Amino acid sequence: MKTFGIRHFSPAGAYFLRQFLDEVKPSLVLIEGPADFDFLIEDIVSKKLVPPFAIMAYTKEAPIDTILYPFAEYSPEYQAILWARENNTECHFFDLESDIILELEKRDDETKDEEIISETNPKKSIETDMEVFWERTLEQSEDMQAYRAGSALLGESIRKDTNADDKSFIRDIVRESFMKRKIKEYIEKGFDTEKIVAITGAFHTSAIESLEGAMSDKEYKALVRRESNVTLMPYSYYRLSKRTGYGSGNAAPAYYELLWQGFLNGDITYHERKYLSSLAKYMREHGGIVSSAQVIEATRLARELAVIRGGSVPTLEDLKDASITCMGGGSFGEMAMGFAETDIGKKIGSVPQDAMQTSIQSDFTSKLKQLKLEKYKELVATPLQLDLRENLRVKSKESAFLDLNRSFFLYRLVVLGIDFAKIKRSSQDNATWAENWILQWTPEAEIQIVESVLKGDTIADAVAFVLSERLLEATKISEIADVIEDAFNCGLPKIVEGAKRSLDETANGAIAMCDIADTVSKLSNMISFGDIRKLDREPLIPIVKRLCIRASLMLVGESACDDIAAAALAEDIQKIHNVFMLQDFLDESLWFDKLIELSNRDDLNTKISGLATAILLDAGKIDEPTLRKEVSRRLSVGMPAELGANWFAGLSMRNHYALIGRLTLWESLSEYLDTLDEEEFRRSAVFLRRAFVEYSAKEKDMIAENLGEIWGLNAQEVSEIINSEIKEVDTEILEDFDFGDF
Amino acid sequence: MSEELQRLPAEVMFQKEIDALIAAEKNPVPVGWKMSPKSVLTYIMGGECNGVKIIPKYIGNKRIVEIAIATLVTDRALLLIGEPGTAKSWLSEHLCAAINGNSTCVIQGTAGTTEEQIRYSWNYAMLIAEGPSDKAIIKSPVFEAMEEGKIARFEEISRCASEVQDALISILSEKRISIPELGKDSAAKKGFSIIATANTRDRGVNDMSAALKRRFNIVVLPSPNTLEEEMDIVKTRIEKLSEGMALLSKVPEAEVIKKVCTIFRELRQGETLDGKQKIKSTANVLSTAEAISLLTNSMSLAGSFGDGEISDADLAAGLQGAIVKEDSKDSKVWEEYLENIMKKRGKEWIGLYNECRMLNG
Repeated sequence: MKTFGIRHFSPAGAYFLRQFLDEVKPSLVLIEGPADFDFLIEDIVSKKLVPPFAIMAYTKEAPIDTILYPFAEYSPEYQAILWARENNTECHFFDLESDIILELEKRDDETKDEEIISETNPKKSIETDMEVFWERTLEQSEDMQAYRAGSALLGESIRKDTNADDKSFIRDIVRESFMKRKIKEYIEKGFDTEKIVAITGAFHTSAIESLEGAMSDKEYKALVRRESNVTLMPYSYYRLSKRTGYGSGNAAPAYYELLWQGFLNGDITYHERKYLSSLAKYMREHGGIVSSAQVIEATRLARELAVIRGGSVPTLEDLKDASITCMGGGSFGEMAMGFAETDIGKKIGSVPQDAMQTSIQSDFTSKLKQLKLEKYKELVATPLQLDLRENLRVKSKESAFLDLNRSFFLYRLVVLGIDFAKIKRSSQDNATWAENWILQWTPEAEIQIVESVLKGDTIADAVAFVLSERLLEATKISEIADVIEDAFNCGLPKIVEGAKRSLDETANGAIAMCDIADTVSKLSNMISFGDIRKLDREPLIPIVKRLCIRASLMLVGESACDDIAAAALAEDIQKIHNVFMLQDFLDESLWFDKLIELSNRDDLNTKISGLATAILLDAGKIDEPTLRKEVSRRLSVGMPAELGANWFAGLSMRNHYALIGRLTLWESLSEYLDTLDEEEFRRSAVFLRRAFVEYSAKEKDMIAENLGEIWGLNAQEVSEIINSEIKEVDTEILEDFDFGDF
Repeated sequence: MSEELQRLPAEVMFQKEIDALIAAEKNPVPVGWKMSPKSVLTYIMGGECNGVKIIPKYIGNKRIVEIAIATLVTDRALLLIGEPGTAKSWLSEHLCAAINGNSTCVIQGTAGTTEEQIRYSWNYAMLIAEGPSDKAIIKSPVFEAMEEGKIARFEEISRCASEVQDALISILSEKRISIPELGKDSAAKKGFSIIATANTRDRGVNDMSAALKRRFNIVVLPSPNTLEEEMDIVKTRIEKLSEGMALLSKVPEAEVIKKVCTIFRELRQGETLDGKQKIKSTANVLSTAEAISLLTNSMSLAGSFGDGEISDADLAAGLQGAIVKEDSKDSKVWEEYLENIMKKRGKEWIGLYNECRMLNG
């Protein structure tokens, strides 16, 4: 048997491996990878498959574990499979079956955590150094023999670094003994030993060279399995670059593809020109000025760097250093975006449709068909308007609610994080039955769908799983309300039911005013529009009632706060008040009692008191004389100017016109100003100015008219003064002014 | 004679190392160079050569030095940019010393530097007596470097007026200087290049034109990455300096260097080393070079007036001078640092804290 050790994602490995196979002309090619993946080989060699792709195995039962084998075009394993097909040679995976690996992986979950912790910064620089070293030793090999020698070195060095009692090492030993067992099996089947080529990561080569210690039947039977599924899925360079660690990812996939193309073109410096020019192109497209002269200089510098660093052809590090120096003015930041683009790239693979093995993919496809959404599976963004009402012109129930079901479906995709549909907020607030969506298919979405299989077999199952998880993690009632809202949009009444129960429980504990405000306004929305989505809204009503009583009781206590908290509180009060106004089933009397108390007391935050007054005014609970009295009380000389102005700001938070229309208010304000002495006036002027920021120019004109009438002046003149910008003289006065205690 | 000189050029100070590297040369040497790029790298980063120990001259990122040397191999000009005290001039001097065996071909950039000082000027007595001739011309260091195929250094290039800086543009792209008065022009020999240094944070610097920047390969020298690295730099330099200056004090203990570097780093970064507390930064830059001069200063104080051991009082005097320069705000920053950070650091720091407290009135 012949072995060929490779580095995963190695263009040189892919190239020389093909050369090696051409030379040996084996009758059997064995590839490192779970033996039960064999049935996928037909799809892998299919013309419809475009790398990068991945093979994923996942457990059927929770906790869901996965193992992933990503491949790029320049993966030696992929090229070997292609070679075998082109040369009519048998080809098999010969590693442990995936259901056994999944069990083994589960067992060393504990060690995994440790690995993640130790992979902090200091190791990172060593990792990049390693990357450079292996690029130089392996990717720049002159010929096949040099590559094999280099990979032997790689395997030896990794094996040496591995701790013998490391759990992952023990797993490797088990896998190797299985590989030997497999090889033996094939020999027994009659394959010529000399005509078998086993392709593995360099790490395993030395271990499987002798077939001593092959796994026995008894040992094999003793291995525990976890029931699992296997699927082929498209993959992207971006994802590839995000995975770190030996064999499972590749930090610069687009760059490595350049190396591969260089091999195919028989030009080992192809990558340096292509890399630097693509970088320059990217910089130019994004506003940078990069000349061809600079690209030439960078090429020269990269070559010199390679020489100084002991090579002859630039590595990725040399190219980056050179481009920072020659194109980026010495700054990495300038080039960072360009590097991300040229190192990683945007390539996304695709897999033949019929090879998609996951239940969720077929569920997705059948749902698309059922909901007549197939034509939207386009790369171009297409708008879709839905009318959620029952369509009375059609007979079957299914088509009558077609759009509603579409809406449920699209919302479910949003919850699963599948980038296919985006909702556009409708500008007409009242058109509750209309929804505007933008649909756009992306290959990335395919990957996301495949990954969703980990959450459930069908889209509905997966959504239910995601929402129940969120429910479990939720600590605030507003988070639970979010879940209810999502479940409501997705048409999952069961989840709504469950969430309602946990909302009930959580609402007994300590909750914040903002939480209540968010929750009741969300629930109130659902109650108002639940009809259209066929939701039973009855169960939500008691919760809203309870929360609203709670809010009423908390109101006065919460209002003793500072100005920063007051700003948030004011918003909450408005939200809750809107709910009171909207829902008939609520008893407003307690709420208004508390608001009246708030409005009358002057030991609370004056802004909130002012807001309470404004709300009462709107609701017609305060008459003109009371308002007048309140204004003069709040704005009397005894009150500190800032408190008065703050109260006025609160009063202005609601309906401006209601205030402008009340002449008595402005009379009181004018009387108040008359009572102030110079110093007090300056102080209150600052605050009043702040209070009037909220008013538009037109509104200020109307106020001017009011004041003009009171003062017997021309409205025009007053308006000019009110609307004018701060002049220099004023600024001088302001500068003298002591802001120390504000 | 060299004993009396205050400061020797790098090539004299490290003559032995350079000779050893040249003698042991195995790699190809570029035209005009004394040794191969790899040997230059060894000279700068340290190592060993035929039993001669090569002291590291630049402590920090090797990649940066590799880029700098590779740039000079490609006959491009090199521009070293960085905050004050990041060893720009130091690196440029040693590069020239190793490559040419001569680091004295220097133009010091100032606001008063004129274009003549970059190109050539005349011996006016001779010019009037004989008219323009080869004898009457006074060549600038750049001109000389071109004729000899050497590397010229241009220190603090950004302190020159932009118009003056631009005189370099034609020199760097054409690699020749024309002398219209003599009706001839002089072309650069192979090996000619320029290493310029520029400061990013000082006041009174001019912008460099894009055209000029394009003619340089730009390398940014960072502040030392870690406390250990900075301590290493400070220690190496102080040892070397105290040899030359015959200070009567011992080289400070690691603990003292650590204290100074910690204070400097924290004030520079605006947070404590463990990242748990924010600190205000001072207006002036607290560079590694500043730390070195502070410590030599304290050594000289201790040696001349004390018992030769750097005491907390010596250190405090140095710190006060280095940190509170012109701004009264710096005094506030320093006081806050003393009260909020140093005071709470425990026993080892309390002596220094008391001394600093007293000085910072």
